[in-house]
Amino acid sequence: MKDMSVISVRHLKKYYRVHEKEPGLKGSIRSLFTRKYTQVKAVDNIDFTIEEGELVGFIGPNGAGKTTTLKVLSGLLYPTSGEVSVLGFNPWDRKAQFQKQFALVMGQKNQLWWDLPPMETFILNKEIYEVPEDQFKKTLDKLIELLDVKDILKIQVRKLSLGQRMKCELIAALLHNPKVLFLDEPTIGLDVVMQKVMRDFVKQYNRQFKSTIILTSHYMGDVKELCERVIIIDKGKILFDGKLQNVIDRFARNKIITVVFSRDIDQRKLAEFGNIREYQFPRAKINVPRKDVAKLSAKLLSDFPVADLVIEEAPIEAIIREVFTGKMKQTNA
Amino acid sequence: MRISSFKKYFQVAKTSWSGGFVYRLNFVMWRVRNVVQLIAIYFLWFAVMSRNPTAFNYSTSQMLTYILGTSIIRALVFGQRSIDAQGEISSGDLNNYLVKPISYFRYWFSRDIADKLLNILFSIGEITILLFWLRPEIYLQTNPLMLVSFLLASLLAMVMYFYFSFLISMTTFWIPEENGWPQRFFIFVILEFFSGGLFPLDILPPAVYAVLGKLPSAYFLNTPLQIYLGRLDLSQIVTSLFMMAFWIVVLRLLANRTFRKGLKIYGAYGR
Ligand SMILES: Nc1ncnc2c1ncn2[C@@H]1O[C@H](COP(=O)(O)OP(=O)(O)OP(=O)(O)O)[C@@H](O)[C@H]1O
Ligand SMILES: [Mg+2]
Repeated sequence: MKDMSVISVRHLKKYYRVHEKEPGLKGSIRSLFTRKYTQVKAVDNIDFTIEEGELVGFIGPNGAGKTTTLKVLSGLLYPTSGEVSVLGFNPWDRKAQFQKQFALVMGQKNQLWWDLPPMETFILNKEIYEVPEDQFKKTLDKLIELLDVKDILKIQVRKLSLGQRMKCELIAALLHNPKVLFLDEPTIGLDVVMQKVMRDFVKQYNRQFKSTIILTSHYMGDVKELCERVIIIDKGKILFDGKLQNVIDRFARNKIITVVFSRDIDQRKLAEFGNIREYQFPRAKINVPRKDVAKLSAKLLSDFPVADLVIEEAPIEAIIREVFTGKMKQTNA
Repeated sequence: MRISSFKKYFQVAKTSWSGGFVYRLNFVMWRVRNVVQLIAIYFLWFAVMSRNPTAFNYSTSQMLTYILGTSIIRALVFGQRSIDAQGEISSGDLNNYLVKPISYFRYWFSRDIADKLLNILFSIGEITILLFWLRPEIYLQTNPLMLVSFLLASLLAMVMYFYFSFLISMTTFWIPEENGWPQRFFIFVILEFFSGGLFPLDILPPAVYAVLGKLPSAYFLNTPLQIYLGRLDLSQIVTSLFMMAFWIVVLRLLANRTFRKGLKIYGAYGR
């Protein structure tokens, strides 16, 4: 049975066998002879499929197994068990045909030659991926324009700022027009302006080239703005796979009402409405159950001297935190 | 190899070459170290030979030619960038190559070639200056057969050392401490002597030479230079060349296997 999905993962497990080792060279040599192994279940039986052109957010707390999954999909790690297919290839075979069609970008690693200007790495990658001259020029010009890096192409990489370097990393990774793109925390360490530039770029790249993208990030802003679909993973298991909006609908049990009072009020009375997150006259923030929002805000308006009232969704970070801390399993089970 | 494939590795060498010039100071210091060592060994042997012109069954010109010759052969055989591979294995930067349509071996071989070229150019320049300054008597080999054998042996030594060195780098999969430098340093120290970098190995007592001369390390410097000096007869030369070819096959196989084994345990470090 031929799978039509661009990425398909079935019953994937990746267990690391780590041996305990005393620190230092001596420990290393000793451990060559006597080893005690323990197992880390980094990815523990996950399934998902991703179709062409999707931009999927892969989120989870530290150590959840995100990077491990991306490494398996890139052919860097051999799965412990399960089936993985990307563009119809088994990534671990590391066929040139496959490698020419995907790219992996890790926010905390770089491929640019540190002592040379970024342009040198671009030219080298052109040859490595055997990109025809005219296509190379066209793609490069476009990427340079989109990311606005014309002025830094001839400067040694070691002299670039983190943000400038990240832009060039992206260009180096995209010169061969990959159909599939794995972005592992591409916005890490960037300031808000640069984060926005990256987001806009990724969004545009996804639209223009119909490329399939998996993105991991700890910044919910990235996910909220870019990804319609999210896969939430924790301790190697998938907790949720679906529309981001569904996460909010399902797991955001509360909304936040912000009230501004015109006169000081009795806090104890206010506490009956819900959990007071903060109160500093004249402003109060209250968590209220979603279903009671309308009723409670009406009551607030009639019971208190209200100058202003705003109803908001809980921040996505808080919702995701609830999912991580297990509240989700209760609602889900 | 296909044309596009050749272009790929040619570009690697070219990029490496321009990268090499960035480390100008580093490179110059490396050359200075080589020259100082060369001059020290040269004068040591100059002193020994002028007291005792036929010592160790070597004429003065043969001995001094051997010493000066090690400089050029050293640049060809030992000149390398590929020691950086162990750092990449240890840090996880190896990932960069594993996701690309490129062979890690050929990649480093191309970079080594670029580095050897640079080193040989400098070495030839240095030797020329030394020749003008010291005016030693030089042994000139004129037999074309010997010269061809010498060239062939030097190239085989180069390939052989590449795989040998790569094998050492591969130990970093299992001993990643300090980017694999402890084990590398150990090899460097041993090799200096075992390869014949300090003196020709056949001046050692016969019992010792019988062992050292058979080790693969003897082929790196000692054998090519012995051939140049005409100290090996034809059957010895043929045997040596065959042995080198044999070692290349063995070391290549070992390096390949170890690499694949290493990849299996390789955690693809670095998140
Ligand atoms: N090379 C390795 N060897 C052994 N264990 C590892 C290795 N790499 C990761 N792990 C372990 O596997 C688990 C998953 O790690 P992974 O890097 O996939 O998490 P992650 O979701 O990317 O986390 P983060 O958000 O912190 O990047 C962790 O418990 C980690 O300690
Ligand atoms: Mg990670």
